[in-house]
Amino acid sequence: MAQAAVTQETGHVADTNTGISNRKLLMWVFLASDCLFFGSFIATYLIYRNESIVGPYPNEVLDIPITSVSTFVLLMSSLAMVLALNYVQKDKLGLARFWILAVCFLGLIFLGFQVVEFTTFVNEGLTIHQNLFGTTFFILTGFHGLHVFIGILWLLGMAFVHFKGALTSRSAEDLEMAGLYWHFVDIVWIVIFTVIYLIGYSDGEGIHTIEHAAAIVGG
Amino acid sequence: MTNPISTAWRKLFYHDGDRYFLLPEVDAASPEPPDEGPFGEAGPKVASWYTRITFGGRHATPMFYTIIGVILAILTILEVWFFTLDVFGWFFVPMMLLLAVAKFIIVVAFYMHLRFDKSILTLVFGSGFLIAIAVFMILLTVQEKVAPDPQIAP
Repeated sequence: MAQAAVTQETGHVADTNTGISNRKLLMWVFLASDCLFFGSFIATYLIYRNESIVGPYPNEVLDIPITSVSTFVLLMSSLAMVLALNYVQKDKLGLARFWILAVCFLGLIFLGFQVVEFTTFVNEGLTIHQNLFGTTFFILTGFHGLHVFIGILWLLGMAFVHFKGALTSRSAEDLEMAGLYWHFVDIVWIVIFTVIYLIGYSDGEGIHTIEHAAAIVGG
Repeated sequence: MTNPISTAWRKLFYHDGDRYFLLPEVDAASPEPPDEGPFGEAGPKVASWYTRITFGGRHATPMFYTIIGVILAILTILEVWFFTLDVFGWFFVPMMLLLAVAKFIIVVAFYMHLRFDKSILTLVFGSGFLIAIAVFMILLTVQEKVAPDPQIAP
C-alpha cells in the first residue's frame, strides 16, 4: 500500500511506497551513478600522475590564485541555487527569479575562467595530445565544464518557465531537481580543486628509466 | 530503539542509570533534574539549538543557508592559505583531503538536503559514492601490479 509522506524540504506529498517522489529518487540514483563517472576520471588522473615524459607539467602551468577565485564563484553559485529554491518554496517569486539568474551568471563566470585557463594551457603547449597530464586533465575538467554548461542550460530553461508564470511553490520540485544537479557539479569541483590543483600542484616530471633516475640524482 | 552510546552515557552520568556517579543527595526515584548531566543544561541546549536550526521547520531560512555559504568560503580560504604556507610536510595531503571532505559533507547535507530528507536518499547516494571509492582503490591496485609504468621512454 502506498504511503503518503511529506518530504521535509518541498512539502509535497509523495504517494509512493518510499514516500519520496519517483523523480527525486531517480535524480539521486543518477547522481550516484555520476559519482562513478567522475570517480573513474579522477582515479585515472591519479594513476597517471607524475607519469608524463614531456612537459608542460602541472607545476609549470597550474594557476592556483585564478582557480581559487573560480572555485569561490562556483561555491557561491551553490548558495544562490539553494536560496532560489527556498524562495520558490515560499512563493517569493521575484527573489526566486533573481537567484536563478544569479546561478546562471555565476556558472557562466566559472565557465569563462575555465575557457581562459584552457586557452592559456594550449598557448603554453599543453594540449590533450601532449602528455598524460594533458589528456587526463582536459578530459576530467572538460567533462566537469560540460556538466556546468548543461546545468546552465537547464536553469535558463527553468528561468524561462518562471517568466511564463509556471514555476510556483506547487512545482518547486522541478527547480529542486535542477538544484540537486547543480550542487553535485559543485561537490565534484570541490574534489577536483583539492586533488588536482592543491595536492597535485607540485607534480613535475616523473622517473621513467633507471638512466633517467640516475640523471636526476646526478643533477 | 536505544542507541548503545546514549545508553552508556546515561548509565555513566544520569541518576536513573547505574549510578556510577550518583551524588548522595540525589534520589533515584525523584523526577529527573532538569540540569542533570556532566555539562548541566549546556549539552541539551546546544543539541536542541543544532536540531532547531538544521531540522526545526519545513524550510531552513535564507540566513541559515548564508551561514553555511560563509562556512564553505572560510574552509576554501583555509585550504588556499594552508597551500601557500608550505610548512605542513607529510600532513599536508591528509589535511587538504579532510577540508575537502568537510566541504563535501556540508554541501550534500545542507544544500542538497540529505540532512532533512528521508534516509533512503542518503543510502542511495552513499552507495554510489562508496562504489566509486572502491573502483578507485581497485584501479590503483590493479594498475600497480599490471602496468607499473605506462610511459616507458625508449
